[in-house]
Amino acid sequence: MDILVIFCLTIGLLFFLGGAVGIIRMPDFYSRLHPAGKLDTLGIFAMVMGLAIYNLHHFSFEALLLSAKMFLIVFFVFLSSPTATHSIVDAGMRAGLRHWTKKKRKG
Amino acid sequence: MKFLGVVIVCLTGALLLYGTGEFPDWGDPNSPASLHLSNDYIEKAFEETQVPNLVTAVLADYRGFDTMFETSVIFCAGLACFLLLRDFSQKKERFYRHIPTGVILHVKNSKKILKVGKEFEHMDKDWVPSDLIIKTVCRIIIPFIQLYALYVVAHGDFSPGGGFQGGVIFGSSLILLAISYDLKTLVNRIKEKVFGIYAAIGVLIYVGIGAICMPMGGNFLDYSKLAPLVPGDPHHIRALGMLGIEIGVGIAVTAVMAIIYINIVSEGRHDEGL
Repeated sequence: MDILVIFCLTIGLLFFLGGAVGIIRMPDFYSRLHPAGKLDTLGIFAMVMGLAIYNLHHFSFEALLLSAKMFLIVFFVFLSSPTATHSIVDAGMRAGLRHWTKKKRKG
Repeated sequence: MKFLGVVIVCLTGALLLYGTGEFPDWGDPNSPASLHLSNDYIEKAFEETQVPNLVTAVLADYRGFDTMFETSVIFCAGLACFLLLRDFSQKKERFYRHIPTGVILHVKNSKKILKVGKEFEHMDKDWVPSDLIIKTVCRIIIPFIQLYALYVVAHGDFSPGGGFQGGVIFGSSLILLAISYDLKTLVNRIKEKVFGIYAAIGVLIYVGIGAICMPMGGNFLDYSKLAPLVPGDPHHIRALGMLGIEIGVGIAVTAVMAIIYINIVSEGRHDEGL
């Protein structure tokens, strides 16, 4: 049981680390949003999964309810985080920000 | 003139810094703030009010007068936004979209208003394409945000939260509706008048609960005198009084948030905006 919890938390940390590194290292606005939107969402899922399992150590109805509430958080983050990223990208496109390319643009 | 401004700012800053030197140390047990009243609140608040959350007890009961005027300050902020920004003149330029063909009509200098419905659709100048993903997700999420806001208002006595926070959350759910659809959706759904009335009603609930205490034989905002009016355990009456004013604060804050947002975003015209 503990091994499973540790595994989940480590996976979550790994995703969060990837997200943080990606936000700093990516070359432009749009590609930075990519790790921010995706890795954080999955990181939260893995983290909360670990915490929810840990919470079920002493199994009772209340503990089960608490774990279910935790997954409710994940549900809302899953809904809202990608949507927010999507709308930010939309706004960027409409404001006329050009995306990054490997070749340098002329002029 | 600029030089004078810099001098004044520096002088004021220096005075303030000089003044802070006289303050008691951080967490000093002998400072005037922690000698008299604080101990009394901490020791007796739960006994007297039956409210586990000390902050709420101080804010809504012991210092209810202060909070009442904070609420009226928020009401005044909404009123000021309305009075300064509201513009009743109709805009001459309008944009419509013919839905079946997608052709966009730009009506200049015409008083004729096309009928919006099956054929035509309103459009904003800073056109935001109606995005299905954002609309759908916001439609799912807004009720939950509002439920959470109600929870925060109702649970202010027991956990962090209260009228101001819950009202802001509720107001932000209305703003989310305006952003994800368009401003017209919000304005058509809840009329401007209704927001104004709600803002006033919120303050009125607060003041009214305070005022009812007076004919019952207590001071203004002395909830303990309300006990004969409410069935149930008389020990909980102060908690119930707090809940009542929290609800008033929540209503006022929600309405004022919406008023401020709508007026600022549409430059007072209430027709188009973000």
